[in-house]
Amino acid sequence: MYGETANKLVQNAKRTLALPHLPPYQSELIRSVVREVRDLDKDVASLLAPYSGSFNPASSPETACALLVNHLCMRRNKRCLLAYHKVRSDKLEEYCWNGVDVLEQQAQKANGSNAGAGGAAGAESSLSPEEEEYVRQYSDLLAAYKGQWTDIDLTGSLEPPKDLFIDVRVLKDAGEIQTEYGSITLTKNSQFYVRHGDVERLIQQGYLQRLS
Amino acid sequence: MDIDDLLAEVAVDSTPEESRDLQELTRAWVAERTAPEILNWPEELMERVLERVRRQIELVEDQTGNMDPKTNFKLIVIQTELERFKFLVRSFLRARLNKIDQHPLHIRAQHTASLDSTQPLLSPSELQYLTSHQALLSQHYSASFLSQFPASLQRLDDTTGGISMVDKPDEDRAVFRQMPRIE
Repeated sequence: MYGETANKLVQNAKRTLALPHLPPYQSELIRSVVREVRDLDKDVASLLAPYSGSFNPASSPETACALLVNHLCMRRNKRCLLAYHKVRSDKLEEYCWNGVDVLEQQAQKANGSNAGAGGAAGAESSLSPEEEEYVRQYSDLLAAYKGQWTDIDLTGSLEPPKDLFIDVRVLKDAGEIQTEYGSITLTKNSQFYVRHGDVERLIQQGYLQRLS
Repeated sequence: MDIDDLLAEVAVDSTPEESRDLQELTRAWVAERTAPEILNWPEELMERVLERVRRQIELVEDQTGNMDPKTNFKLIVIQTELERFKFLVRSFLRARLNKIDQHPLHIRAQHTASLDSTQPLLSPSELQYLTSHQALLSQHYSASFLSQFPASLQRLDDTTGGISMVDKPDEDRAVFRQMPRIE
């Protein structure tokens, strides 16, 4: 009672900040925090019921104190829930910006463990259904905003460009790509001297490695 | 800053618009990245810069395939410049978006207040991004837990109890400022 469960959520959020991946959504904790808020709200209502709308804090300080504690706890719980969801949605947005397809990763994870455990009790997605929906809609929003700046390529590198051409090594076969200087076939372990802008996406996706 | 920069500033008309725009863009970028609050959207400057970027991209597309070593070399110079411009604009926009994401409600209120002045705070597309993003977020909160809360606690911009839910950037933070030295 009184904010203990919410504290667990905040600790979880704090841990999430330092993790490279998203830990599973704590739906059980969320539910109990919400339940706590509803109970507190009922408490407040029953405390106030005998006064029928004309409650005077000065005449019964003990009731006033109980009300205050209940109110503060509800607010605190709300804040903790908001913080927890905000940390997670920030992380999801970051994935969208980096071009990581979270939904596909989650699906793969679920499939992989399904196969491993013989189809029994596959690992659930780390995202809640609401979060999956949020990711979908945010990527749409991001794509729409990016579409207005096609010349700039908003998701491009935030490192100041030094060289127009760079050395790259191919880590995975990526097939043939077209550049302004003709086409290049990217086969594993080969090395090329190419224009940075042409291969930026491939580096992000992990097909190529930049050699400094 | 040295004496040449100062002279150039005094004799504005003698420097071509292109270099002045680059200077302005660089300044806007530095200022945006160091200021705690979001600064006004430099609309005219951005229009000019984007137009020039577009023209250069066209030029590059036109001229590739030309195997004359001289043009080829020129193209490389142009492309390098282009990449730098694109970086400046990209970093500038991302710095603004970052602030918008951090303090959406505060910035929206500021933007609404700035509509009366000649220079609005946000560009139309930034405002659109802010509005839709905020709508998405509150929908997400509401679907996840907020809809099950008592009605009096469902607001996201509550100010009762002496604490405002709307976060503000720290406007009293120390910033660095470069002054041209005048002797």
